[in-house]
Amino acid sequence: MRRQAALLTLILCLAVFFTVSQAHAEKPVKLGFVYIMSGPFAAYGQFAKKGAELAVDEINKAGGIMGRPVKAYFEDSTGKPDAALRALRKLVYQEQVDCLIGLDSSGVAKSVAPSIPQLKTPLIITHAATPDVTGSVCNKYIFRISLNLAQNVKTAALLAAQTKAKTWTTVGPDYAFGHQSWEYFEKYLKEINPEAKFLPKDQVAFPPFKTTDFSSYITKVMQSKPDGVLISLWGGNLIDFVRQGSDMGFFNGDFEVLVTLGAATEVLSALKDKMPEGLWVGSRYWFLANQSPLNKAFVKNYHDRYNEYPSYNAHGSYGAIMAYKAAAEKAKSCGKDAVISALEGLTIELPVGKITIRAEDHQAVTDACWGKTAADPAYPIRVLKPMKIFKGKDITPAVADTGCKM
Amino acid sequence: METFAANLLNGLSWGMLLFLISVGLTTVFGVLGVLNFAHGSFFMLGAYLCMQIMHIVPSFWVGIIVGPLLVGGLGVVIEKMLLRKIYDRDISFQLLLTFAILLFLDDSVRLIWGPGYHVVEAPAILAGTIPFFDHTYPIYRLFLVVIGPLIGLALWSFFHFTRWGKVVRAAAVDREMAEGVGIRVPLLFTAVFAFGSWLAALGGALAAPHQSLAPAMGERIIIESFIVVVIGGMGSFPGAFAGALLLGLLDSFGTAFAGRAQMALPFILLAVVLLFRPQGFFGRET
Repeated sequence: MRRQAALLTLILCLAVFFTVSQAHAEKPVKLGFVYIMSGPFAAYGQFAKKGAELAVDEINKAGGIMGRPVKAYFEDSTGKPDAALRALRKLVYQEQVDCLIGLDSSGVAKSVAPSIPQLKTPLIITHAATPDVTGSVCNKYIFRISLNLAQNVKTAALLAAQTKAKTWTTVGPDYAFGHQSWEYFEKYLKEINPEAKFLPKDQVAFPPFKTTDFSSYITKVMQSKPDGVLISLWGGNLIDFVRQGSDMGFFNGDFEVLVTLGAATEVLSALKDKMPEGLWVGSRYWFLANQSPLNKAFVKNYHDRYNEYPSYNAHGSYGAIMAYKAAAEKAKSCGKDAVISALEGLTIELPVGKITIRAEDHQAVTDACWGKTAADPAYPIRVLKPMKIFKGKDITPAVADTGCKM
Repeated sequence: METFAANLLNGLSWGMLLFLISVGLTTVFGVLGVLNFAHGSFFMLGAYLCMQIMHIVPSFWVGIIVGPLLVGGLGVVIEKMLLRKIYDRDISFQLLLTFAILLFLDDSVRLIWGPGYHVVEAPAILAGTIPFFDHTYPIYRLFLVVIGPLIGLALWSFFHFTRWGKVVRAAAVDREMAEGVGIRVPLLFTAVFAFGSWLAALGGALAAPHQSLAPAMGERIIIESFIVVVIGGMGSFPGAFAGALLLGLLDSFGTAFAGRAQMALPFILLAVVLLFRPQGFFGRET
């Protein structure tokens, strides 16, 4: 009888001990990431993962979010809407993440946007640029921390208005992104300079995404004798286009060239000195644009860890985690609704500069950097000289123009 | 005039690359009866190995000779260890197996060389441009226009004038009869598959200086190659040549004159051929 009592006491003690110790080991804050991790665009998922891991390690080293460690879960969107939605669902229902971060493709982002409210989890978009996710299909759960297409193209239009070019044409990927870039460019440039002319739809070039030989498009655009060309190709398409175009004399200075995503580090690193000098190039984040201590530390830590300069997608995932942390700390809670309210109107300093997430459409108002490609012996890749910084408020369309109704 | 000449050269150089890929695909199909989904992956491997070898020996020519040979060697291994086991099975097994090889090779490339983009420099002698009307035209493209028919001619001579070439054609016409007259068909199959892999890799190495390298780069070209093979005639050598040229020219002139409809042209052509001449331009009646 006494032995049984002793045993019971022991079990009780153990039980109490474990409950207490469990209460002390804080439950981690779970963040779920969905990017393209396979196929031809896997590089973008890789960049995002690098940026995310850097942010998570920095936060955990400094004590986590309100004392709770951060845990990251990565899923592959494969660049397809159905796979992306499956991945998002898995993260929410199986891993029970507190916040979703990701999405590279505009097509994917637009298709999954209407399904996000069912998941009742905030989604911070860091790459997909379609204006629609913070416009016509916006909703309470979707935020975007990166520069969107409208902001980037508005910047291009401001630059275009400063050149002497009158007649403009475009080369862009043959899906919503390329077509919308051209549409918005036309709209914005016409507002600034009513004299500007734009080649009709059948004379501009929209090579399909899978194109590897751009020669016929290069010939077509050169034959149309424009004064200026807006190029919205990106990634491997842009690399191929620039190399083949250089050989065919496309960049000889016969016309102005604006490349909306030409300052992407993965493109510049692949091309190195094959990137022509003197092209106007933009990006969502340029690692030399901001001289703030925060940016310098980010670039240094990233370079020390991965031996490359941070691409805009790395900055996107890094920035999203930092914004989540700021929102959770502002709300003093990791509850999903509390974080959503805290993200609305949040102003936070990121490496790119100070950004404000508008409460009305959940789009970040963020500065844009464009510059002319130039050689610099201090860097193995082309850098931007001169650089022009455009203020977020000057390039972000008014809420009324976005078409967003929460 | 410049437009016409430029489009002609653009179409021919792209067509020649397509031809190199398609001729391997069609030969393997003609002889082994295998529709090889992994053919595009050999194309990709050829490009990556060429790049890797150029890191060790900085010469494009070494890369383009050694790289495809290594891929040919891999072809031997794949045929002997995997394909051989399923010749007698249903055709769906072949599709599954070659598709599995494709996934395996694509992911291997991503693991080894990473998911980023790579570029390969053209050799100095071919890297420049020549004056072309008011503009310039890359020498490397002209090189492709010339090298394509040369390789095609070499292959054609091989198939028509050498004993080995005749043996391959005989086996393609009737496998059992070839075996009956004493041709060692298993050995022949290995050789033909390795040869097809080598051709795909050669195409990849030749494509490397003018397109960026990224995992799954083979998946893009394999679809067009299938179209070439079907419109030219499955298993037909001249069919691959004609089909590749047609598709190349359709691509360049279509872009110049047909606007957005250009994208649909190869598929319309494919549909028309399948409707009215299902065996392809040069295909045998089946």
